[in-house]
Amino acid sequence: MLIADMHIHSTFSDGKLTIPALVDFYGTQGFGAIAITDHLCEEKSIIGKAGHYIGHSLTRATFPLYIEILKSEAKRAWSKYRMVLIPGYELSKNSILNHRSAHILGLGISEYLPADGDVIGLVRAIRNQGAIAIAAHPVSTRKIEKQTYHLWDRKEELSEEFDAWEVASGPYLFDEVLKSSLPKIASSDLHHPNQINSWKTVFECERHPEAIFEAIRRQNLSFRFYYQEEDDDLRSRIRPSHLDSGYLSDPLRDLAIPETLSG
Amino acid sequence: MDAGLDQNLESFFLLEYPQYELLFSISDPQDPSVLLVTHLIARYPQVSARLILGQIQVGPNPKVNNLIQVYGEAKYDCLLISDSNVRVSPCYLTNLAGHLNPDVGLITSIVSGINPSGVGGHLEAMFLNTYYARGMHLTHAVDHPCVMGKSMLFRRSVANRFGGIANLSRYLAEDHVAGSAMHYLGLKVRMATDPIPQHIGNSSFGSFWLRNVRWGRIRKSQEPIGFILEPYLGSVLSGVLGAWACDRLYHLSPGRVFCLHMVLWLVCDLAMMKSINVKVSFLTPLIWLAREALHLPLWLCVASGSQVTWRGRVIKLQAGGLIDLSEENDNSSWSWRHAKGYI
Repeated sequence: MLIADMHIHSTFSDGKLTIPALVDFYGTQGFGAIAITDHLCEEKSIIGKAGHYIGHSLTRATFPLYIEILKSEAKRAWSKYRMVLIPGYELSKNSILNHRSAHILGLGISEYLPADGDVIGLVRAIRNQGAIAIAAHPVSTRKIEKQTYHLWDRKEELSEEFDAWEVASGPYLFDEVLKSSLPKIASSDLHHPNQINSWKTVFECERHPEAIFEAIRRQNLSFRFYYQEEDDDLRSRIRPSHLDSGYLSDPLRDLAIPETLSG
Repeated sequence: MDAGLDQNLESFFLLEYPQYELLFSISDPQDPSVLLVTHLIARYPQVSARLILGQIQVGPNPKVNNLIQVYGEAKYDCLLISDSNVRVSPCYLTNLAGHLNPDVGLITSIVSGINPSGVGGHLEAMFLNTYYARGMHLTHAVDHPCVMGKSMLFRRSVANRFGGIANLSRYLAEDHVAGSAMHYLGLKVRMATDPIPQHIGNSSFGSFWLRNVRWGRIRKSQEPIGFILEPYLGSVLSGVLGAWACDRLYHLSPGRVFCLHMVLWLVCDLAMMKSINVKVSFLTPLIWLAREALHLPLWLCVASGSQVTWRGRVIKLQAGGLIDLSEENDNSSWSWRHAKGYI
């Protein structure tokens, strides 16, 4: 059993921590697996180009460094913390319209893939690399930020394409996804260290990337609210209705990582 | 051969440092500098030094191809990459190594242009001693990595974390990318304030122009937003805008404001030159004025294209400083695949 966060941003896009700092941040807290998933925007749209110019996206120029640093940090994460580090990106199709915006996580990627084109082609290109494709925050995140509804609008058409759909992003569970029959995963979408207090996924598998991917495909997982320190305001935002699902642990009972995972 | 090459290379044998190894990498065995290096190694047997000939093609950047062997064969973990056109002081290595703290990934130096001759040589030296030195101070003041490849000290074990220098071979400015990679690792890029002198020698206006167009286009491809701001870092455009603003806001004579602005800018640049040990002559203000007058036309020329000419060969740059390896570019006048022995 291992607790994992599969949606994290570094300074390669709009995150605040470098990749080595993220490894130490999660490693010291006993996480079993993390995936660094920096934004990779479109190359052809104006908004995507802006993302490239202001450094909020991986680019063709930074991607080789990104992959090599992830490789070396994966070795360090394993040797120092016995933590699996999975290379990923978040293909970011951004539009001024929420219903035309979509973010797709690729976990276990190795090739540069700009977010241009239809989502089906992008998801298949991710899976052709042997990677996992996840629909990121497909419904309202309840945060003041651009929303990405495009994938949810096409959920029937895309249900077979994705390996999982995010059921939580940060501290909020998505009721719509939770109640659906779609395969699910919960992540923090961490940009800043204080976003660590959020829903995470617990896998019943070995600490190995392929075992984690298989656990996602087979949905051999559960969700747990993880917090680093006492935060009464955060507790008050967790609604009891979220405890009804068989996926969920009681957040007020299981707020910390079990002893078996903490060291 | 570079101006004063024998003295430049000899200066590395005279470094005052307890333990170090000199590795000279020359890609072409027929290069006349091979004989020079061989003589120097024989003259200083107390210094551990080796000459490594040939290069390994790992990518389109010929400098990286030239360095890849010494990178692998160096005896120690700390590596100092230096070009052959700089002449260093005996305490150079000691000064650089003093900055190598655990949180520092790379140490670079300011380069001062000395001994220029010809129109291009004087303009080149003025560029290095004012605009370039100012830019280095500015970028390091805001903790933005700006690295001069003529002087880079780093640990190989750290560079291997981003794939080693082989992973820099796809970029034209491997030095700048090395600095960025250090930042991505959470390490700082430090600048040693002691300048290293580069002997400029004789140079034509054409070679000055081409070199600065090349550097400008590399900067444009790597830092497009910073490049947009560059015209305002020259004295002329900022002076014109300032004079216009003073006229509109305070009804001051724009001509007088502009002249005062230029004099103050010149005084600051003279102070900058003094701080990096550059001698000033009665011609200095004239050369300074010529370089400042060329700043905007040069910027416009840089902005108008993405190709650079390097020793007679044309290279197309992509965003981020990547060398364009597309088929179209291979059909142009140069392809790195055919550049054996080139550097």
